[in-house]
Amino acid sequence: MLLLEKTHQHQSALAIYCRTGHYKSIPGVNKKNITQYRSLVINIVDEMLKSAFPLVHNLLSTREWTLLIKDFFSNHPCSSPQVWYMPKELYQYLSSTKNHPLVEKYPFILELIWFEWLEVELYMMADQTVTHTSTGNIHANKLVLNPESQFQHFQYPVHLKSAKTITQADQANYYLTAHRVPETGSILFTDLSPALLYMLELLADEPHTFSQLNERICTDLDINFTEDIQSVTTDFIQKSLQSRLIIGFSIEH
Amino acid sequence: MVGIGFRKDFADELLRSSVLTPAFIEVAPENWIGIGGYWKKQLKKALEKYPLYTHGLSLSIGSPDELDYDFLKKVKLFLKETNAQIYSEHLSYAKCDNAHLYDLLPIPFTEDAANHVAKRITTIQDLLEQKIAIEIVSYYSPIAPELSEIDFINLVLQEANCELLLDVNNVYVNSFNHQYDAKEFINALPLERVSYIHMAGHQQISDTLIIDTHGEPIIDPVFHLFEYATQQLGKDVPVLLERDFNIPEMEELQSEINRLHTIKQCALKKENYVAA
Repeated sequence: MLLLEKTHQHQSALAIYCRTGHYKSIPGVNKKNITQYRSLVINIVDEMLKSAFPLVHNLLSTREWTLLIKDFFSNHPCSSPQVWYMPKELYQYLSSTKNHPLVEKYPFILELIWFEWLEVELYMMADQTVTHTSTGNIHANKLVLNPESQFQHFQYPVHLKSAKTITQADQANYYLTAHRVPETGSILFTDLSPALLYMLELLADEPHTFSQLNERICTDLDINFTEDIQSVTTDFIQKSLQSRLIIGFSIEH
Repeated sequence: MVGIGFRKDFADELLRSSVLTPAFIEVAPENWIGIGGYWKKQLKKALEKYPLYTHGLSLSIGSPDELDYDFLKKVKLFLKETNAQIYSEHLSYAKCDNAHLYDLLPIPFTEDAANHVAKRITTIQDLLEQKIAIEIVSYYSPIAPELSEIDFINLVLQEANCELLLDVNNVYVNSFNHQYDAKEFINALPLERVSYIHMAGHQQISDTLIIDTHGEPIIDPVFHLFEYATQQLGKDVPVLLERDFNIPEMEELQSEINRLHTIKQCALKKENYVAA
């Protein structure tokens, strides 16, 4: 070990000061200027989280937001060298902290944070590919789900309502999917009924034809197949093809 | 040649523009490793148009913590996939006690720290199978110093046998903040190790303190110091214009690139004239 313990301690003292604001005397320091480091670090954290969480930032008061980012950065050792993962680490910190006052005050805040992180993660994540063709017919060919998609179940309608208007009375089961549009890279969210979610889950397992999907959801969910159901599922599949949630058709050999 | 930092704030404009014509672009690998979608496509387009130089932020060469070998492997792969010409990093630390800080903290100017950092640079160079360039960072306070800044830097460079990224603005900022002569400082550096130069703007926030913001145009005294440095170097070294915030019109960035290019060409001509 080349580094002396006292040098390590001085480095730790500066790092702890930057993270927590608690300053332990370091020899030779310009006390006036050292505060710049704390300001610069907190500014980076603030900007990164504001950019990732505009809805959470809008929900909280200035004081709540400032306390949140300072509390997070003081108590959570960020582990990723890639700064854009920091928002996920905020989620991990809040979800593992017992009785955090913001979670007590806003029971839906963890879901709101996850909802916003989902958009960041899907937007940034490495490309996923799947064999498919864009030419086909929904009645004749098997449908292929966009691999750059995720399903989500929430207890609060964080994807449907302004966060400031969400109350305990909104608590229910909400299903949605988020996917990345291959051509533009933009992220689209789709609110789903449980049956439509199940349809997509079947497609996530393997490509199915439209009629196979209808048959499976009616059998597995014990629903009578009606013209209304056919109309809803047809409309959903067509819209999903347009939005690229369903990316295309299986290549038949 | 003079390049520019490839920033998302003006990446689309750079790719469309015929106004801004850098000789190369620079990215921080950690901002691009493992990403897909829109930005992967934009980086691919940029790489079809420009050579790539890289400048790391998170390797934390000066950290007391163990090197992040997993991350280093990802960096190595990124350098290979993008055919990066240079990999540079900062003579600072950004992680301590297993917590990333995402900013560049000054290393104590001590002999043990210099040896520790030099050994880490050697390890990194061995793993990457290439030399890396180390940037002298701007700093606002020394931390428990036992050596002068220049002695610390020179000890690291000598022990690590690495290249030097000369950030002229940082030398200017440090000379102002810590009251020394910037030209004397440059003279005391092993200039034969300089393989890359950075130029940027800064913000003076008080009578005694300048912050290295990369958010302002380069000021004349920094251009003058650049002219001095290029004269002392006497060789053609790639120069990067860094602009991370307050992005101006592309014409303004190109004007700075042009000025840097002209200064460099004049310095090299003078050198050739003297040599002849």
